Amino acid sequence: MPHDVTMPQLGMAQDAGRLTQWLKAPGDAVTKGDALFEVETDKATMEVEAQASGFLTHVTAAEGEDVPVGHAIARISDSADAAGDSPAPNDSAAPDSAPQDTLPDGHQVTMPQLGMAQDSGVLVIWHKALGDAVATDDILFEVETDKSTVEVPAGHSGYLAATLAEPGDEVPVGAALAIISAQKPDAPVARGVAAAAPAANPAPAETVAPKPAPPMQATAHQAAPQTGGRILASPKLRRVALEQGLDLARLVRAGHPQPFHMRDLEVLEALPTQTPAPQAGGTVQALRLQAACAQDGFSPFATWAADAHGLQDADALLAGLAGASLGRAATVAVERFGASRVYDVAAGRGLSAVTDTENAPDLRVRDLRATSLRAVSLGAEDVPVLSIIQQGAGLALVLECSAAQMDGPAAIALISEFAGRMEQPLRHLL
Amino acid sequence: MMREITLSQAVNEAIAEEMRRDASVFLMGEDVAEAGTPFKVLSGLVEEFGTDRVIDTPISEPGFVGLAVGAAMTGARPIVDLMFGDFIYLVMDQLCNQAAKQHYMSGGKLTVPMVLRTNMGATRRSAAQHSQSLQALVAHIPGLKVAMPSSAYEAKGLMKTAIRDNNPVVIFEDKLMYQDRAPVPEEEYLIPFGVANVQRKGTDITLIGTSSMVQVALSAAEILAAEGISAEVIDPRTIVPLDEATLLNSVKKTSRAIVIDEGHQSYGVTAEIASRLNEKAFYHLDAPVLRMGAMDVPVPFSPALEDLTVPTPEQVAANARKLCAGEMIHAA
Amino acid sequence: MAKAKTNTEDYLRMYRQMVRIRTFEDNANQLYLSAKMPGLTHMYSGEEAVAVGICEALTDDDRITSTHRGHGHCVAKGAEFKAMFCELLGKAEGYCRGKGGSMHIADQSHGNLGANAIVGGSMGIATGSALRAKLQGADDVTVCFFGDGATAQGLMYEVMNMAALWSLPVIYACENNGYSEYTKTEEIAAGSITARAEAFGIEAHQIDGQDVLAVNDLTRKLVARARRGEGPFFMELMTYRYHGHHVGDINREYYRSKAEEKEWKENRDPIIRFRAHLVSEGIATEDELDAMNAEVERDAAEAVAYAEAAPYPDASEVDQHVFAA
Repeated sequence: MPHDVTMPQLGMAQDAGRLTQWLKAPGDAVTKGDALFEVETDKATMEVEAQASGFLTHVTAAEGEDVPVGHAIARISDSADAAGDSPAPNDSAAPDSAPQDTLPDGHQVTMPQLGMAQDSGVLVIWHKALGDAVATDDILFEVETDKSTVEVPAGHSGYLAATLAEPGDEVPVGAALAIISAQKPDAPVARGVAAAAPAANPAPAETVAPKPAPPMQATAHQAAPQTGGRILASPKLRRVALEQGLDLARLVRAGHPQPFHMRDLEVLEALPTQTPAPQAGGTVQALRLQAACAQDGFSPFATWAADAHGLQDADALLAGLAGASLGRAATVAVERFGASRVYDVAAGRGLSAVTDTENAPDLRVRDLRATSLRAVSLGAEDVPVLSIIQQGAGLALVLECSAAQMDGPAAIALISEFAGRMEQPLRHLL
Repeated sequence: MMREITLSQAVNEAIAEEMRRDASVFLMGEDVAEAGTPFKVLSGLVEEFGTDRVIDTPISEPGFVGLAVGAAMTGARPIVDLMFGDFIYLVMDQLCNQAAKQHYMSGGKLTVPMVLRTNMGATRRSAAQHSQSLQALVAHIPGLKVAMPSSAYEAKGLMKTAIRDNNPVVIFEDKLMYQDRAPVPEEEYLIPFGVANVQRKGTDITLIGTSSMVQVALSAAEILAAEGISAEVIDPRTIVPLDEATLLNSVKKTSRAIVIDEGHQSYGVTAEIASRLNEKAFYHLDAPVLRMGAMDVPVPFSPALEDLTVPTPEQVAANARKLCAGEMIHAA
Repeated sequence: MAKAKTNTEDYLRMYRQMVRIRTFEDNANQLYLSAKMPGLTHMYSGEEAVAVGICEALTDDDRITSTHRGHGHCVAKGAEFKAMFCELLGKAEGYCRGKGGSMHIADQSHGNLGANAIVGGSMGIATGSALRAKLQGADDVTVCFFGDGATAQGLMYEVMNMAALWSLPVIYACENNGYSEYTKTEEIAAGSITARAEAFGIEAHQIDGQDVLAVNDLTRKLVARARRGEGPFFMELMTYRYHGHHVGDINREYYRSKAEEKEWKENRDPIIRFRAHLVSEGIATEDELDAMNAEVERDAAEAVAYAEAAPYPDASEVDQHVFAA
């Protein structure tokens, strides 16, 4: 389903934003969560993420243009050539009509789904060259998933008429990778994912599962490494980024070539920071709310609860306080040092009624007090996340979620309630 | 007063000075007296100290190293000359089971103050049994100290310290450097063990070289300087004890390092030093620490092949360039 | 004839030292069998006349090097029971602070440069000690104990060659107990053992190692000559080990018979023989000797109890003594 991209409202008294930069080109494959464009307001410059997966089309706003909030500036379509779709509701600027190679006719070969929880695969190598004759059982290419590397047969016989990805490209499952034509092609086409715009075959797979996109720019001097989703960065850069509260994933989203080293810090620092806020516009934003507690009331409370009431499981107490802050029965995960325990928390105030569970959590509490972290900005995850961070004698609390998971008032209520409980847990019992 | 003397003269002077200073010091080995060894390092010593203190032995490496251990355990300070480093394999029991362990096995009662001076280094067209650099073998054994002088100055100061040390010390001299000259003071000096020498200051990358590889690192630093890359060159001087602090401080500053040693690369000195830097300076590293050792092949005879086996300044510079540019040396 | 031969005190001391070795080994054997002693240990019982006959001819300035079967050499050279048992049990008060154990006891104060767990491994050390004595003009002599098995090691020929070339004050004492671990000596040694030394021009003697007086007498003569620069010398001492190669080598009939063991124990035992000699010569009565045995046994029992109660070394000692200051 096509999805309109609109200028988001990013502040209280804001009626327009300046589109400073498109981070994707028309025709680009876009995955939900990819940084799509940059917007500058009077307060800040920020990256806006795509809220759907597909192909960027119908770009109507040019870089440097001021666009009223809520105004459509592009569309995310099911195919790169979605001319048949109705045009975007406003077209104040003509989209760059990037002319694409016409793809040859033939059978499309798509990225196969090779595992249960696999969204995409990395093309390792082509076993056939463009124009080669191909038999049905010939190995056409190799794909790497998080589990293994697999050789994939062509599935059709004919000639390799088009390759739509290059080795190293991460391609969503079901997306077109190659075209096998019946006749030897006159003008075979080779593209990478970055330039892909399958035009001649208007039947792409419907189920394109989202996954962080691969780097969009080829590096100048060497092939982009296959990262398998891991960010390749030097230990020193990781440490400095952590100390400065910078998120290396933003370099990835910006398409900066990996591996990252200290020399890339400047680029990272120059990237606009994300300060998502609740907004009422058509696009959905990630929320990040921060609260402070002057004192960590929880640690003494946990000791007291254990001594006085035999409640030995401090994680259960934490889950209970967090669940109660939601104001309803909930399943709460408590994470620490990468380990996670999940509890069912009944409605009400009974901390002894918190029980272990294998249910999927509604809320995740990430206890980072024993780490050297002083700030987090990880973006929305599958459920809202409350991070607890030591801040002197007190605590910093950070709630991150997507607006789809929780609206602004609910998020404000949750973090306020939780902050109160963490500062003075005894109040919870009153 | 400085004058320039060869590494060979420097070793000779060090031994002569210590033999004059301490009557318990004596020298033994194959053809150390009138012949002064095949490299003529010890020429003239027998004239001054006589055949009682400059003792020609039969070709019995385990035997005379064993004698040195016994002499050292009972109050003498022998210097044993092992004509080629490759012969260390012959003396392994005496060196590693006997000398290295006496102090510990006796709960500190026995000491073995002896020096085993030998050599290392390829490209002398001596083929596989006279060209090896086996420092890693002995550095692996607790109880042995290992010194690797990189110039005439270093050779003299380290030898004098080795002779005065109360432990078995193995000194590896680079047999290609015996005729290399360097400024050496007339006055007496010693170079303490476990104190690395920062040979050249730099900010972009640390080149850690031992013995023959210090010159290689310095030449590489020259090449790099012309390209605007500032390399720091450090000579650990002794690999046991190892001056970790100086190496770590440098790497924390430059955030990159290459370790160069003429021993085989696998399981070698470079691996040990690189591993320590990874463990102790990990969060300061902006690039993987590289090892550059000799190729993992027996040293070939043919000059056309032998020259391929040892790291060169150009190779070091090429690797340094890549590390500084953020290129990956090995695939991710 | 050496003067000491008529010296009652020296005779009684030799008897006592042999009894001390036998008693020490009986206790060590029990400690080991009752699992109180860790590791591996080799009993010297049966060979007492060799260690005592030789060491009674030496002073504290003279050095010895010992073997894996070294408790006897250590006792004979003057070591105390308490520190020895402590070492066997890995305790902090052991001669080596528990770091050496049965196979590495060294007692520097009495000139024992240490047992050695490498067969033949101490031959270089002993010869080097003698080289040092010669270079420094000292008149001490070094005795190198080793077994018949060690004559198969190449190091022996290298060091005997140098000792002979340089006339070093070293005596190579080959304790031929008939077995190289679990193999008869004649199966591992071709030709004559003394001829090996003679090939280097070293004066060599074969002697009954179960006769403490004969061993002592010969050693005194050789030591005196070695002090005068007439060394080196070689002694092959024909002896017998009562136990297996190590404690635990129980079923050994595949390499030697019980009848053979019985013959050596009953008819050639060095302690029984010397005791009979002392009584028949009127040097001591049976009662006096029994009293001496009892006293030694009490000493040993006390030392064992002491060692069992003694503390282990502190964990902080584990990386001490890797290097000397």
